Amino acid sequence: MFLLTLVTPQKKLLTDVEIEEVIVPAYLGQLNILPGHAPLMTTLRAGQLKVRLKGESTFKSAAISWGYCEVNPKGINVLADTAEWPEEIDKKRAEDQIKIVNERLQKAGLSPDDYTLSQMKLQKEMARLETLE
Amino acid sequence: MPSLRDMRARIQSVKNTQQITRAMKMVSAAKLRRAQEQIVSMRPYAQRLLQIISDVALTQRMEHPLFMNNNEAVSKKALFIVMTSDRGLCGGFNSSVCRFTENFINENRSKYEKMDFIFIGKKGADYFRRRKVQAKRVMLNLAREISYVMAEDLAQTCMTEFSTGDYDEVKLIYNEFKSVISQKLTVEKLLPIDLSKGALADAGDVKFPFSKDLIFEPSPREIIDELLVQHFAMQVYRGLSESVAAEHAARMTAMENATKNAKEMISKMTLVYNKVRQASITKELIEICSGAEAVNSV
Repeated sequence: MFLLTLVTPQKKLLTDVEIEEVIVPAYLGQLNILPGHAPLMTTLRAGQLKVRLKGESTFKSAAISWGYCEVNPKGINVLADTAEWPEEIDKKRAEDQIKIVNERLQKAGLSPDDYTLSQMKLQKEMARLETLE
Repeated sequence: MPSLRDMRARIQSVKNTQQITRAMKMVSAAKLRRAQEQIVSMRPYAQRLLQIISDVALTQRMEHPLFMNNNEAVSKKALFIVMTSDRGLCGGFNSSVCRFTENFINENRSKYEKMDFIFIGKKGADYFRRRKVQAKRVMLNLAREISYVMAEDLAQTCMTEFSTGDYDEVKLIYNEFKSVISQKLTVEKLLPIDLSKGALADAGDVKFPFSKDLIFEPSPREIIDELLVQHFAMQVYRGLSESVAAEHAARMTAMENATKNAKEMISKMTLVYNKVRQASITKELIEICSGAEAVNSV
Protein backbone atom coordinates (compact mmCIF):
# COMPACT_ATOMS: atom_id res chain seq x y z
CA MET A 1 0.00 0.00 0.00
CA PHE A 2 1.56 3.20 -1.13
CA LEU A 3 -0.79 6.07 -1.74
CA LEU A 4 -0.30 9.19 -3.80
CA THR A 5 -2.29 12.37 -3.46
CA LEU A 6 -1.78 15.10 -6.03
CA VAL A 7 -3.77 18.25 -5.42
CA THR A 8 -3.68 21.91 -6.44
CA PRO A 9 -5.70 24.76 -4.98
CA GLN A 10 -8.08 24.59 -7.92
CA LYS A 11 -8.57 20.88 -8.36
CA LYS A 12 -7.58 17.42 -7.27
CA LEU A 13 -5.89 15.17 -9.75
CA LEU A 14 -5.37 12.12 -7.60
CA THR A 15 -6.47 11.39 -4.08
CA ASP A 16 -5.16 8.37 -2.25
CA VAL A 17 -4.43 6.37 -5.37
CA GLU A 18 -2.32 3.26 -5.00
CA ILE A 19 0.96 3.49 -6.87
CA GLU A 20 4.13 1.51 -7.53
CA GLU A 21 6.52 4.43 -7.74
CA VAL A 22 6.70 8.10 -8.47
CA ILE A 23 9.35 10.48 -9.78
CA VAL A 24 9.10 14.09 -8.66
CA PRO A 25 11.15 17.14 -9.66
CA ALA A 26 12.47 17.90 -6.19
CA TYR A 27 14.48 20.77 -4.84
CA LEU A 28 17.80 19.11 -5.55
CA GLY A 29 16.81 17.22 -8.68
CA GLN A 30 14.74 14.30 -9.84
CA LEU A 31 13.68 12.14 -6.97
CA ASN A 32 12.42 8.61 -7.40
CA ILE A 33 10.26 7.52 -4.52
CA LEU A 34 9.42 3.88 -3.95
CA PRO A 35 7.39 2.30 -1.18
CA GLY A 36 9.32 2.30 2.08
CA HIS A 37 11.07 5.58 1.42
CA ALA A 38 12.28 7.44 4.48
CA PRO A 39 10.00 10.24 5.67
CA LEU A 40 10.85 13.29 3.64
CA MET A 41 9.70 16.77 3.12
CA THR A 42 10.81 18.77 0.15
CA THR A 43 9.88 21.61 -2.12
CA LEU A 44 9.32 20.92 -5.79
CA ARG A 45 10.50 22.77 -8.85
CA ALA A 46 8.53 23.19 -12.01
CA GLY A 47 8.89 19.99 -13.96
CA GLN A 48 7.51 16.68 -14.84
CA LEU A 49 5.97 14.39 -12.29
CA LYS A 50 5.90 10.77 -13.37
CA VAL A 51 3.82 8.19 -11.69
CA ARG A 52 3.42 4.46 -12.19
CA LEU A 53 0.04 3.36 -10.94
CA LYS A 54 -0.51 0.05 -9.20
CA GLY A 55 -0.17 -2.87 -11.57
CA GLU A 56 0.91 -0.81 -14.53
CA SER A 57 4.24 -0.91 -16.32
CA THR A 58 4.27 2.53 -17.92
CA PHE A 59 4.62 5.94 -16.40
CA LYS A 60 1.97 8.56 -16.57
CA SER A 61 3.23 12.11 -16.43
CA ALA A 62 1.88 15.44 -15.32
CA ALA A 63 3.34 18.92 -15.60
CA ILE A 64 3.59 20.63 -12.25
CA SER A 65 4.86 23.99 -11.16
CA TRP A 66 6.24 24.71 -7.72
CA GLY A 67 4.91 22.85 -4.79
CA TYR A 68 5.61 20.59 -1.88
CA CYS A 69 6.03 16.94 -1.46
CA GLU A 70 5.69 15.08 1.77
CA VAL A 71 6.59 11.43 2.07
CA ASN A 72 5.31 9.52 5.04
CA PRO A 73 5.17 5.78 5.74
CA LYS A 74 1.70 5.58 4.24
CA GLY A 75 2.24 7.47 1.06
CA ILE A 76 3.03 10.73 -0.62
CA ASN A 77 1.27 14.05 -0.60
CA VAL A 78 2.08 16.39 -3.44
CA LEU A 79 0.74 19.91 -3.21
CA ALA A 80 1.41 21.76 -6.43
CA ASP A 81 0.54 25.27 -7.50
CA THR A 82 -0.68 23.94 -10.81
CA ALA A 83 -0.73 20.43 -12.23
CA GLU A 84 -1.92 19.18 -15.57
CA TRP A 85 -2.17 15.89 -17.37
CA PRO A 86 -0.75 15.94 -20.92
CA GLU A 87 -4.24 16.02 -22.44
CA GLU A 88 -5.03 19.21 -20.54
CA ILE A 89 -2.02 21.09 -21.80
CA ASP A 90 -2.51 23.68 -24.47
CA LYS A 91 0.63 23.32 -26.58
CA LYS A 92 0.13 26.47 -28.61
CA ARG A 93 -0.44 28.56 -25.52
CA ALA A 94 2.67 27.20 -23.81
CA GLU A 95 4.77 27.93 -26.89
CA ASP A 96 3.40 31.44 -27.15
CA GLN A 97 4.07 32.08 -23.50
CA ILE A 98 7.65 30.89 -23.85
CA LYS A 99 8.15 33.32 -26.70
CA ILE A 100 6.74 36.20 -24.68
CA VAL A 101 8.78 35.39 -21.58
CA ASN A 102 11.96 34.98 -23.62
CA GLU A 103 11.47 38.40 -25.12
CA ARG A 104 10.94 39.85 -21.69
CA LEU A 105 14.04 38.19 -20.33
CA GLN A 106 16.16 39.62 -23.12
CA LYS A 107 15.06 43.14 -22.41
CA ALA A 108 17.32 45.23 -20.25
CA GLY A 109 16.26 46.83 -17.01
CA LEU A 110 14.26 44.01 -15.56
CA SER A 111 14.00 44.23 -11.78
CA PRO A 112 15.37 41.22 -9.89
CA ASP A 113 11.88 40.21 -8.79
CA ASP A 114 10.54 40.35 -12.31
CA TYR A 115 13.51 38.39 -13.49
CA THR A 116 12.88 35.57 -11.03
CA LEU A 117 9.20 35.56 -11.85
CA SER A 118 9.90 35.35 -15.56
CA GLN A 119 12.37 32.57 -14.98
CA MET A 120 9.80 30.65 -12.99
CA LYS A 121 7.24 31.18 -15.67
CA LEU A 122 9.65 29.96 -18.32
CA GLN A 123 10.41 26.81 -16.38
CA LYS A 124 6.75 26.17 -15.89
CA GLU A 125 5.96 26.43 -19.59
CA MET A 126 9.01 24.31 -20.49
CA ALA A 127 7.77 21.67 -18.10
CA ARG A 128 4.46 21.67 -19.92
CA LEU A 129 6.08 21.11 -23.28
CA GLU A 130 8.36 18.48 -21.85
CA THR A 131 5.40 16.60 -20.48
CA LEU A 132 3.73 16.61 -23.87
CA GLU A 133 6.65 14.85 -25.52
CA MET B 1 -59.08 55.06 -12.31
CA PRO B 2 -56.31 54.47 -14.84
CA SER B 3 -57.45 53.75 -18.33
CA LEU B 4 -57.53 50.24 -19.67
CA ARG B 5 -54.70 50.91 -22.01
CA ASP B 6 -52.45 52.21 -19.22
CA MET B 7 -53.14 49.14 -17.18
CA ARG B 8 -52.33 46.87 -20.06
CA ALA B 9 -49.01 48.64 -20.50
CA ARG B 10 -48.22 48.29 -16.81
CA ILE B 11 -48.98 44.60 -16.74
CA GLN B 12 -46.77 44.12 -19.75
CA SER B 13 -43.92 46.01 -18.12
CA VAL B 14 -44.13 43.94 -14.95
CA LYS B 15 -44.11 40.83 -17.09
CA ASN B 16 -40.94 41.99 -18.80
CA THR B 17 -39.31 42.65 -15.44
CA GLN B 18 -40.32 39.23 -14.28
CA GLN B 19 -38.68 37.70 -17.31
CA ILE B 20 -35.44 39.48 -16.50
CA THR B 21 -35.43 38.51 -12.85
CA ARG B 22 -36.16 34.92 -13.77
CA ALA B 23 -33.27 34.88 -16.23
CA MET B 24 -30.96 36.40 -13.61
CA LYS B 25 -31.99 33.74 -11.16
CA MET B 26 -31.07 31.01 -13.62
CA VAL B 27 -27.71 32.61 -14.33
CA SER B 28 -26.95 32.93 -10.63
CA ALA B 29 -27.92 29.34 -10.05
CA ALA B 30 -25.46 28.19 -12.69
CA LYS B 31 -22.71 30.40 -11.34
CA LEU B 32 -23.42 29.27 -7.81
CA ARG B 33 -22.94 25.68 -8.81
CA ARG B 34 -19.54 26.52 -10.30
CA ALA B 35 -18.53 28.48 -7.22
CA GLN B 36 -19.57 25.63 -4.98
CA GLU B 37 -17.53 23.19 -6.99
CA GLN B 38 -14.57 25.47 -6.62
CA ILE B 39 -14.90 25.48 -2.85
CA VAL B 40 -15.20 21.72 -2.72
CA SER B 41 -12.23 21.12 -4.98
CA MET B 42 -10.10 23.42 -2.89
CA ARG B 43 -10.73 21.58 0.33
CA PRO B 44 -8.35 18.64 -0.07
CA TYR B 45 -5.46 20.97 -0.80
CA ALA B 46 -6.19 23.11 2.22
CA GLN B 47 -6.51 20.07 4.47
CA ARG B 48 -3.26 18.47 3.36
CA LEU B 49 -1.48 21.77 3.68
CA LEU B 50 -2.68 22.21 7.24
CA GLN B 51 -1.69 18.68 8.06
CA ILE B 52 1.83 19.16 6.76
CA ILE B 53 2.25 22.44 8.57
CA SER B 54 1.14 21.02 11.87
CA ASP B 55 3.33 17.94 11.35
CA VAL B 56 6.35 20.07 10.75
CA ALA B 57 5.53 22.55 13.47
CA LEU B 58 5.00 19.78 15.99
CA THR B 59 8.06 17.74 15.18
CA GLN B 60 10.34 20.71 14.86
CA ARG B 61 8.94 22.79 17.74
CA MET B 62 8.95 25.74 15.48
CA GLU B 63 8.77 29.30 16.58
CA HIS B 64 7.68 31.63 13.89
CA PRO B 65 6.80 35.31 13.79
CA LEU B 66 3.61 34.47 11.92
CA PHE B 67 2.32 32.21 14.64
CA MET B 68 0.23 33.59 17.39
CA ASN B 69 2.23 35.02 20.24
CA ASN B 70 0.67 33.80 23.42
CA ASN B 71 1.01 37.03 25.30
CA GLU B 72 -2.35 38.23 23.96
CA ALA B 73 -1.09 41.69 23.23
CA VAL B 74 -3.91 43.91 22.06
CA SER B 75 -3.31 44.78 18.48
CA LYS B 76 -2.90 48.40 17.62
CA LYS B 77 -2.41 48.47 13.93
CA ALA B 78 -4.94 46.52 11.98
CA LEU B 79 -5.53 45.85 8.33
CA PHE B 80 -8.99 44.85 7.21
CA ILE B 81 -9.85 43.17 3.95
CA VAL B 82 -13.46 43.89 3.14
CA MET B 83 -15.00 41.66 0.55
CA THR B 84 -18.10 42.72 -1.38
CA SER B 85 -19.33 42.12 -4.90
CA ASP B 86 -18.98 44.15 -8.06
CA ARG B 87 -22.65 44.07 -8.89
CA GLY B 88 -25.78 44.75 -6.95
CA LEU B 89 -29.21 43.14 -7.01
CA CYS B 90 -28.27 40.57 -4.48
CA GLY B 91 -30.39 41.41 -1.47
CA GLY B 92 -28.62 42.36 1.71
CA PHE B 93 -25.34 40.86 0.64
CA ASN B 94 -23.33 44.03 0.22
CA SER B 95 -25.20 46.27 2.60
CA SER B 96 -24.70 43.92 5.53
CA VAL B 97 -20.95 43.88 5.02
CA CYS B 98 -20.79 47.64 4.53
CA ARG B 99 -22.97 48.44 7.51
CA PHE B 100 -21.08 46.10 9.76
CA THR B 101 -17.74 47.54 8.72
CA GLU B 102 -18.95 51.08 9.21
CA ASN B 103 -20.22 50.36 12.70
CA PHE B 104 -17.03 48.56 13.47
CA ILE B 105 -14.98 51.56 12.43
CA ASN B 106 -17.04 53.91 14.55
CA GLU B 107 -16.94 51.71 17.60
CA ASN B 108 -13.30 50.80 17.52
CA ARG B 109 -11.76 53.97 16.30
CA SER B 110 -10.28 54.71 19.68
CA LYS B 111 -8.93 51.21 20.24
CA TYR B 112 -6.67 51.14 17.25
CA GLU B 113 -3.82 53.43 16.42
CA LYS B 114 -4.16 52.65 12.80
CA MET B 115 -6.89 51.04 10.76
CA ASP B 116 -6.42 50.43 7.09
CA PHE B 117 -8.71 48.85 4.58
CA ILE B 118 -8.45 46.91 1.40
CA PHE B 119 -11.73 46.87 -0.45
CA ILE B 120 -12.44 44.08 -2.82
CA GLY B 121 -15.45 44.56 -5.05
CA LYS B 122 -16.96 47.70 -6.45
CA LYS B 123 -19.93 47.98 -4.10
CA GLY B 124 -17.89 48.19 -0.92
CA ALA B 125 -15.32 50.48 -2.50
CA ASP B 126 -18.02 52.93 -3.61
CA TYR B 127 -19.81 52.84 -0.29
CA PHE B 128 -16.73 53.77 1.66
CA ARG B 129 -15.51 56.28 -0.85
CA ARG B 130 -18.75 58.17 -0.33
CA ARG B 131 -18.10 58.04 3.39
CA LYS B 132 -14.56 59.27 2.96
CA VAL B 133 -12.87 56.19 4.34
CA GLN B 134 -9.38 55.94 2.96
CA ALA B 135 -8.72 52.72 1.15
CA LYS B 136 -5.25 51.33 1.07
CA ARG B 137 -5.98 49.38 -2.01
CA VAL B 138 -9.05 48.70 -4.09
CA MET B 139 -9.56 45.63 -6.19
CA LEU B 140 -12.31 45.68 -8.77
CA ASN B 141 -13.55 43.69 -11.71
CA LEU B 142 -13.31 40.31 -10.16
CA ALA B 143 -16.76 39.57 -11.48
CA ARG B 144 -15.78 36.64 -13.58
CA GLU B 145 -13.65 34.43 -11.52
CA ILE B 146 -11.39 35.01 -8.63
CA SER B 147 -8.17 33.26 -9.31
CA TYR B 148 -5.69 31.77 -6.94
CA VAL B 149 -3.06 34.01 -8.48
CA MET B 150 -5.01 37.06 -7.37
CA ALA B 151 -5.42 35.74 -3.84
CA GLU B 152 -1.74 34.94 -3.73
CA ASP B 153 -0.85 38.44 -4.76
CA LEU B 154 -3.10 39.93 -2.11
CA ALA B 155 -1.73 37.57 0.48
CA GLN B 156 1.80 38.50 -0.45
CA THR B 157 1.08 42.18 0.14
CA CYS B 158 -0.46 41.56 3.54
CA MET B 159 2.32 39.23 4.50
CA THR B 160 5.07 41.67 3.66
CA GLU B 161 3.46 44.46 5.60
CA PHE B 162 2.70 42.24 8.50
CA SER B 163 6.27 41.03 8.75
CA THR B 164 7.75 44.51 8.46
CA GLY B 165 5.62 45.50 11.43
CA ASP B 166 3.30 47.87 9.61
CA TYR B 167 0.38 45.91 11.01
CA ASP B 168 0.04 43.49 13.84
CA GLU B 169 -3.28 42.07 12.77
CA VAL B 170 -4.96 41.23 9.48
CA LYS B 171 -8.66 40.50 9.38
CA LEU B 172 -10.99 39.49 6.61
CA ILE B 173 -14.61 40.63 6.61
CA TYR B 174 -16.77 38.64 4.24
CA ASN B 175 -19.98 36.71 3.78
CA GLU B 176 -19.49 33.09 4.55
CA PHE B 177 -21.38 30.68 2.38
CA LYS B 178 -23.46 28.63 4.81
CA SER B 179 -26.06 27.31 2.44
CA VAL B 180 -27.97 28.49 -0.58
CA ILE B 181 -30.46 30.36 1.56
CA SER B 182 -28.19 31.68 4.27
CA GLN B 183 -25.00 33.67 4.21
CA LYS B 184 -23.29 34.58 7.41
CA LEU B 185 -21.26 37.68 7.92
CA THR B 186 -17.90 36.58 9.23
CA VAL B 187 -14.85 38.34 10.58
CA GLU B 188 -11.84 36.13 10.39
CA LYS B 189 -8.43 36.76 11.77
CA LEU B 190 -5.92 35.81 9.11
CA LEU B 191 -2.72 36.94 10.72
CA PRO B 192 -1.12 36.12 13.02
CA ILE B 193 -1.83 32.47 12.31
CA ASP B 194 -3.38 30.83 15.31
CA LEU B 195 -1.87 27.39 15.59
CA SER B 196 -3.96 26.40 18.58
CA LYS B 197 -7.17 26.96 16.69
CA GLY B 198 -9.52 24.15 15.81
CA ALA B 199 -8.56 23.72 12.22
CA LEU B 200 -4.95 23.02 12.97
CA ALA B 201 -5.71 20.93 16.00
CA ASP B 202 -8.06 18.77 13.94
CA ALA B 203 -5.52 18.25 11.24
CA GLY B 204 -2.99 17.38 13.90
CA ASP B 205 -4.44 14.04 14.91
CA VAL B 206 -2.11 12.09 12.70
CA LYS B 207 -2.89 8.41 12.73
CA PHE B 208 0.64 7.31 12.10
CA PRO B 209 3.37 8.62 14.34
CA PHE B 210 5.45 11.16 12.61
CA SER B 211 9.08 10.28 12.45
CA LYS B 212 11.37 12.67 14.23
CA ASP B 213 14.16 12.21 11.75
CA LEU B 214 12.29 13.59 8.84
CA ILE B 215 14.52 14.53 5.94
CA PHE B 216 14.15 18.12 4.89
CA GLU B 217 15.16 19.53 1.57
CA PRO B 218 15.87 22.46 1.99
CA SER B 219 15.96 23.27 5.70
CA PRO B 220 12.81 23.03 7.87
CA ARG B 221 12.94 26.75 8.39
CA GLU B 222 12.76 27.55 4.70
CA ILE B 223 10.06 25.00 4.14
CA ILE B 224 7.83 26.25 6.88
CA ASP B 225 8.34 29.80 5.74
CA GLU B 226 7.04 28.91 2.33
CA LEU B 227 4.31 26.66 3.64
CA LEU B 228 2.94 29.39 5.84
CA VAL B 229 2.87 31.83 2.96
CA GLN B 230 1.03 29.21 0.99
CA HIS B 231 -1.34 28.55 3.84
CA PHE B 232 -2.09 32.20 4.23
CA ALA B 233 -2.74 32.61 0.51
CA MET B 234 -5.01 29.63 0.73
CA GLN B 235 -6.99 31.22 3.54
CA VAL B 236 -7.42 34.41 1.55
CA TYR B 237 -8.44 32.40 -1.49
CA ARG B 238 -10.93 30.43 0.55
CA GLY B 239 -12.45 33.61 1.94
CA LEU B 240 -12.79 35.05 -1.53
CA SER B 241 -14.30 31.88 -2.94
CA GLU B 242 -16.80 31.69 -0.10
CA SER B 243 -17.78 35.26 -0.70
CA VAL B 244 -18.30 34.66 -4.41
CA ALA B 245 -20.48 31.65 -3.71
CA ALA B 246 -22.42 33.60 -1.12
CA GLU B 247 -22.94 36.43 -3.58
CA HIS B 248 -24.46 34.15 -6.18
CA ALA B 249 -26.60 32.45 -3.57
CA ALA B 250 -27.82 35.81 -2.28
CA ARG B 251 -28.61 37.00 -5.77
CA MET B 252 -30.41 33.81 -6.59
CA THR B 253 -32.65 34.17 -3.53
CA ALA B 254 -33.25 37.85 -4.19
CA MET B 255 -34.17 37.20 -7.80
CA GLU B 256 -36.45 34.35 -6.87
CA ASN B 257 -38.31 36.64 -4.50
CA ALA B 258 -38.50 39.33 -7.14
CA THR B 259 -39.95 36.85 -9.62
CA LYS B 260 -42.49 35.74 -7.05
CA ASN B 261 -43.46 39.31 -6.26
CA ALA B 262 -43.83 40.11 -9.92
CA LYS B 263 -46.12 37.15 -10.35
CA GLU B 264 -48.27 38.29 -7.45
CA MET B 265 -48.40 41.79 -8.80
CA ILE B 266 -49.39 40.59 -12.24
CA SER B 267 -52.25 38.52 -10.89
CA LYS B 268 -53.51 41.43 -8.77
CA MET B 269 -53.32 43.85 -11.65
CA THR B 270 -54.97 41.42 -14.03
CA LEU B 271 -57.84 41.09 -11.59
CA VAL B 272 -58.33 44.86 -11.41
CA TYR B 273 -57.93 45.08 -15.17
CA ASN B 274 -60.67 42.53 -15.77
CA LYS B 275 -62.97 44.19 -13.27
CA VAL B 276 -62.54 47.52 -14.97
CA ARG B 277 -63.04 45.93 -18.35
CA GLN B 278 -66.25 44.23 -17.23
CA ALA B 279 -67.49 47.41 -15.60
CA SER B 280 -67.01 49.30 -18.84
CA ILE B 281 -68.81 46.61 -20.84
CA THR B 282 -71.70 46.66 -18.39
CA LYS B 283 -71.81 50.40 -18.56
CA GLU B 284 -71.95 50.32 -22.34
CA LEU B 285 -74.72 47.70 -22.29
CA ILE B 286 -76.76 49.78 -19.88
CA GLU B 287 -76.32 52.79 -22.09
CA ILE B 288 -77.47 50.87 -25.17
CA CYS B 289 -80.41 49.32 -23.32
CA SER B 290 -81.57 52.53 -21.80
CA GLY B 291 -81.20 54.24 -25.18
CA ALA B 292 -83.37 51.58 -26.86
CA GLU B 293 -85.84 51.80 -24.02
CA ALA B 294 -86.12 55.54 -24.48
CA VAL B 295 -86.71 55.14 -28.25
CA ASN B 296 -89.41 52.43 -27.71
CA SER B 297 -91.31 54.37 -25.08
CA VAL B 298 -91.74 57.40 -27.32
